[in-house]
Amino acid sequence: MTSAFFRIYHRYREQILRRTGPRGRVLLIAGMVLCLIASVLPWAVNGVGYTNPLGGNLQSAGIGGPRLYVLLLTLVAGLGLTSLDGRRRSTIAASLGNLVISVYILRGLVHEGGGTGAIGVGVWVALVGSLVLFLGADTLPVTPKNILPSLPAFADIALILVVIGVGLAALVVGLGIEDDKQFVAFALFVVALVFALNWLGVATAFTDAFERYRYIGYAIAAAAAFAFPFTQNGNAQWMAVFARVGVFAAAAIGLNVVVGLAGLLDLGYIAFFGIGGYVSALLSNAVFTTVHVHLPFLLVIPLGAAVAAFFGVLVGAPTLRLRGDYLAIVTLGFGEIFRIVAINWTGLTKGPNGIAGIPDLQLPGGFDFGKPHTLFGQLLPFQSNYYFLDIFLIAAVMVFFARINDSRIGRAWVAIREDELAARAMGINTVALKLLAFGIGATLAGTAGTINVHIGEAIEPNAYQFIFSALLLSAVVLGGMGTVAGPILGAALLYAIPEKLRFVQDYRLFLFGLALILLMRFRPEGLIVSRRRQREFHEGGSGADAMSQPGQVAPV
Amino acid sequence: MTQFLQQLTNGVVLGATYGLIALGYTMVYGIIQLINFAHGDIFMLGAFGGLALYDVLPHSMQDQIIIALPLCTLAGIALSVAVAVVMERVAYRPLRNAPRLAPLITAIGVSAMIEEGTRLWYPGAKAPLDFPQLLPSGAVTLGGVRISYASIVVVVVAVVLMIALQTFVLRSRTGRAMRATAQDPDTAKLMGINTDRVIVVTFVLGASLAAVAGVLQGARLGTVRFDDGFIAGLKAFTAAVLGGIGNITGCVAGGFILGIVEVMAVQYLPHGSGYKDLWAFVVLILVLVFKPNGLFGEEVAVRA
Repeated sequence: MTSAFFRIYHRYREQILRRTGPRGRVLLIAGMVLCLIASVLPWAVNGVGYTNPLGGNLQSAGIGGPRLYVLLLTLVAGLGLTSLDGRRRSTIAASLGNLVISVYILRGLVHEGGGTGAIGVGVWVALVGSLVLFLGADTLPVTPKNILPSLPAFADIALILVVIGVGLAALVVGLGIEDDKQFVAFALFVVALVFALNWLGVATAFTDAFERYRYIGYAIAAAAAFAFPFTQNGNAQWMAVFARVGVFAAAAIGLNVVVGLAGLLDLGYIAFFGIGGYVSALLSNAVFTTVHVHLPFLLVIPLGAAVAAFFGVLVGAPTLRLRGDYLAIVTLGFGEIFRIVAINWTGLTKGPNGIAGIPDLQLPGGFDFGKPHTLFGQLLPFQSNYYFLDIFLIAAVMVFFARINDSRIGRAWVAIREDELAARAMGINTVALKLLAFGIGATLAGTAGTINVHIGEAIEPNAYQFIFSALLLSAVVLGGMGTVAGPILGAALLYAIPEKLRFVQDYRLFLFGLALILLMRFRPEGLIVSRRRQREFHEGGSGADAMSQPGQVAPV
Repeated sequence: MTQFLQQLTNGVVLGATYGLIALGYTMVYGIIQLINFAHGDIFMLGAFGGLALYDVLPHSMQDQIIIALPLCTLAGIALSVAVAVVMERVAYRPLRNAPRLAPLITAIGVSAMIEEGTRLWYPGAKAPLDFPQLLPSGAVTLGGVRISYASIVVVVVAVVLMIALQTFVLRSRTGRAMRATAQDPDTAKLMGINTDRVIVVTFVLGASLAAVAGVLQGARLGTVRFDDGFIAGLKAFTAAVLGGIGNITGCVAGGFILGIVEVMAVQYLPHGSGYKDLWAFVVLILVLVFKPNGLFGEEVAVRA
């Protein structure tokens, strides 16, 4: 069916091309004009039963909500009139963004806004305008992705600042949108904008700039992460979510060492997270603890990590001698064993009920994580304490990851991942190094797990099902295997979006499955690209092209 | 002693199911070296396919198990095979030459999609569903051991199918092509074998056997759930490894051994029933440590 559609479309497109020829930009301009007009026209009619489901006063003329997005995307599409490389795809992305947003609004008006009578003229103009814009974009010549000229230092740093700042702003704005429908419209806008800017070379320029000024880049990113709680006006809702996201992100970085660097598929990773959690729950004087020992938290963290590492080595040592596929299934089995034991060993774990009433963390100086604290004149909810702890944890883990990635060990891991036989022939002790990767992964998971249970204040076995290992894996794959920042982005997206879009929750595992398949098929390197990884996945493809472009930094 | 024999028969019945599912793992692994994580879900789909057909059958046919069982089995096979073929085509085939991790991750995605898709869109599947009584009721008693007719049907069907598969692989032209592809796909291609077709046939065979196992298990236990496939798949994979992956006879034997071990462990070990699902993994780890090629396996060459 789709192929029939494309056949028809291509025939139609030929006709348009023949008629317009080199004057494709007429279509482009016409589309832009229509979209710009649409962005000030009313998009809804105040009909009977109109409930304004999309918020933003859509009945009257003016700019706001989805109309603002259409306006901005149309301006980006205007770059199709220049002679920049990549303008075709960029304009296509922007016009498709406009199209999807207007279809979405149309659907919302019909289904929840009082029926067809509620559809305003602006929606129709936007639909037609974005179609014309799309056709105009399709007449543009096919060019490679734009490569921005190399920039002077201050411009590079400015670019990093702007991109991270805009990212933070988008996050704050997005989280601030209460209504699901408005949020979806906003998310569509952001996605279209990211695609459009990507083809104009902004993403590549950003990664290049980041690689050149790595430490400044990380400092800016850390500052942005640190600033986030201050944007929430003391509101605890999102701080609670992001305190969890931070823990999962730290665990995901650990998984990234195992999967992304050493190429070992660990499907029972959540068990190590759970082991750390149980150690922490049992030793911190929880209300329902079965072990009446209370150790200071600074001692519990390394203890939890050590126990997790012990089990990691216990599982890894026999299996890592075998072919890689077996590891996947053994770890999967180990994850289940952990859960089954946690359910049945009621004397220690209280079985399916779990251990509740885990106290908040206390630092030696009397700092109580369970109380709100005032920082820079703003009273932050207590969840921010955990959030800040997460940032420190993630920063430490990231530094560790980056250092080990560039070390002899990291290179050996990559060699093992690429070709284990060749690596062994080169004198690499493959079993020991694989075991090291596996153990490091387990240690990091255990560390994150110890903190996690203090945030949740309870632990129960069913929070450590296989599917959560799969979710962490999705976070790594989505963000970018083998990259430093990828798993953080992946974890943030995968854990925060379902919190934002409640109606997605029931579908989230289905969507994660779909995402894994599509990612592996079309973008195995994930959102954030590791150069090394991209070249591996697209041999002789775009990755290699990018390498040969002038003005590029040397491969990592 | 009677109790032991009783448990032994129960183990054989359970093992027959594991063996049927395991064949799909072992064949696919033998040919494309992929652990098809979604295979357990294909097994689960078989049961749902049978159930779906049963629900639309007229009442007169629902009661005639001699008609209803084959029809439901065919429906289960149809659903499983359809999904397996689409899965191979859309998800796995494009990744044939990708780095090894890619198809494994895809397989997890496929598994999640099948499970969740069933839960979300099969009517009422968010809770366990009742499976119709498709197997004959009643039992024979041999020396104090009670063997239900249902168990007999399960074991007989399983054994017949296993023998049929073995014959197919050893005697038929396609079977020979399968073995050639398993040994060396590139050379097989040079010899004029359509390896893509062979791989599809492998998936179809595996899915059919899993579907039969699914319908039989549903009918025997009287209930199906959307996540039945996860644990069953894991255990079946263990059976395949136990027998030596890629080896059909070994795989069947592995299924029976695992079924018996599990039943005996539940019966005779302390807290056996709570740890029911654990023994398979313990067996798996022990086998991999001490006899990684399985009880009946030969050395598998590592293929680049």
